[in-house]
Amino acid sequence: MGLSMLRLGQAVILTGLAFAAGATETGVLVRHNCGGCHTNPADPQGDLTRIEGQRKTPEGWEMTLRRMQMLHHVPFHDPGGTADADQVLARLIKHFSDTQGLAPAETAHYRYILERRLDTIEVPEDAEYAVMCARCHSAARVGLQRRNEDEWRHLVHFHLAQFPTTEYQAGGRDRDWLGTALGRIVQKLASEYPLRTPQWSDWQQAPKTSLAGRWRLAGRMPGKGDFEGVMSARPGDNDRYAVELDARWSDGSTVSGRGNAIVYTGFEWRANIEIEGVNYLQVLAASADGGTLGGRMFPADHVERGVDVAARREDGMPTLLAVQPSQLRRGETATLTLVGSALQGEPGLGPGIEVLERVFADPDRVVIRVRARDDAPVGARAVNLGAASRDAALTVYQGIDRLEVSPAYAVGRVGGREGSQPEVQARFDAIAWGHGPDGQPRTGDDLRIGPIAARWSVAPWDARAAADDDVRFAGTLDKDSGVFTPAEAGPNPLRRFQTNNAGNLKVIATVGEGEAAVSGEGHLLVTVQRWNNPPIR
Amino acid sequence: MKHLKPLNAKADLLDAARTEAERGEVVAMQTVVGCSATTDPGWEVDAFGGIGGLCQPMEADLYGCADPCWWPAQVPDIMNTYPDWDKDAPSAAEDWRKLGAVFPKARE
Repeated sequence: MGLSMLRLGQAVILTGLAFAAGATETGVLVRHNCGGCHTNPADPQGDLTRIEGQRKTPEGWEMTLRRMQMLHHVPFHDPGGTADADQVLARLIKHFSDTQGLAPAETAHYRYILERRLDTIEVPEDAEYAVMCARCHSAARVGLQRRNEDEWRHLVHFHLAQFPTTEYQAGGRDRDWLGTALGRIVQKLASEYPLRTPQWSDWQQAPKTSLAGRWRLAGRMPGKGDFEGVMSARPGDNDRYAVELDARWSDGSTVSGRGNAIVYTGFEWRANIEIEGVNYLQVLAASADGGTLGGRMFPADHVERGVDVAARREDGMPTLLAVQPSQLRRGETATLTLVGSALQGEPGLGPGIEVLERVFADPDRVVIRVRARDDAPVGARAVNLGAASRDAALTVYQGIDRLEVSPAYAVGRVGGREGSQPEVQARFDAIAWGHGPDGQPRTGDDLRIGPIAARWSVAPWDARAAADDDVRFAGTLDKDSGVFTPAEAGPNPLRRFQTNNAGNLKVIATVGEGEAAVSGEGHLLVTVQRWNNPPIR
Repeated sequence: MKHLKPLNAKADLLDAARTEAERGEVVAMQTVVGCSATTDPGWEVDAFGGIGGLCQPMEADLYGCADPCWWPAQVPDIMNTYPDWDKDAPSAAEDWRKLGAVFPKARE
């Protein structure tokens, strides 16, 4: 078997045959590669300095080790001579993630950054963290680390030495940045994100489950539609799996792919699957019992084009994972797909919904034609299929009172034109809402109907955008899908001051016609490239 | 400052801002994740959540950002971390296509 590579960010994780016979023990590998700088002179055989005081996600360790490679020219050498630098790096990431990782509960709040949900608006709970730490990078980058107080202090000093602008940019020069960092922030970080936690102790003790098996997937991709599939995971050595995926989009098109997965820290599933010549990364988290996986799947070179994924491992029990689409208008006749496993029996959609025809049925998927009566009760309801049931799987609605553009504020980036950075799309969903019994918008009884097909358009956000003709230059919004593709990078001689094809745009979704039309608006900034794209931004 | 009149749109924007610290904290509190919330003048987003206050075309001043480590999380800093980032691209305006990503890519 040859060696195959799995990308974790943009780096390489060794999969398949990890090491040839006689490969160096991990402990020796760590000391050989890290001990040159991190050996404690007072205790040469004891713990390595710095490293022992930190815990991170796999992506966090990858970034640290890559920094050691780039800044300190660590060669990642195998003293046994059987592994190359990428293989040694991969093994070190695995080792540190397993022995000094984060427990599931410690990552829960910040999954969005691991899953590359780069349209997330971060609102740090602590205003001082926001301006002291998250001016340059995400707050999640901080929240996904655990350190002792000395290590948080070292991190402050590293920042000032490596990035001196920290102190004299806006947000730094208007305060005693270093005094605040050393006098208050370090202590807060050490208290809120300490090295030793009950969550990590408990997780280290918890039994870890193999994730091998047949997985049933359901999800959605903004701008594309609903998604469902089957993924098999065949176990290999050292928490590695060979993966095959067969999936179907709501438009009926099918995709399939093969790849490799690795599980870090007992629950962090990372896979690299080639689908139609495109490398997709899966960043999923397993539940403690190993029965479910959740997260996101996206092309490695276009992280914005992602599929939200929820997966359940088959255990022979009839299970309903999703109903697609998940909404039905009163009086409407529609086709619904019930996604699950070991499906059998009769569908039951509750009062006021009649099943007209069973179009297709197998243990994974049941397709039915249904009709909602004009008096079908409005609201989210459970759907049953034989012994399987899923709460709030289908929403019946009367009409659409309000459209919400999601994300409400998005960033796209110009790219291409032979530059190194591809364009970064912005992908929107139109989320339909009903006002609820009180007839008033944005109150507690509003009914979330869910993502719905809409017509899309853009307009200048303000007078400045209109004067600069941003609509013409910044890119194109597909009128049917809600996908905005930015224009090309580089100075544009056709624009005032040859400025970039940036733009400040209003994104408008509309359903219905004439007086019955309902619209919603979002804000899109089309901005410039970035060249520093580690897995945790 | 009351006798000075803004001469262009960017100056208008700056004139409308209140204190620098106030402005910075407001923007930093609600930022699209990973975008710089440092607002002098901002890399992706300006102090007002738009682009009107940014330096664009950015190629005109890109090395004025990269040399002094101004947006190190977005633009490779030539000062300390990536000293060779621009070695094959003496003019950002002419050679921007030669500027590469700095986080290592996978070996195929």
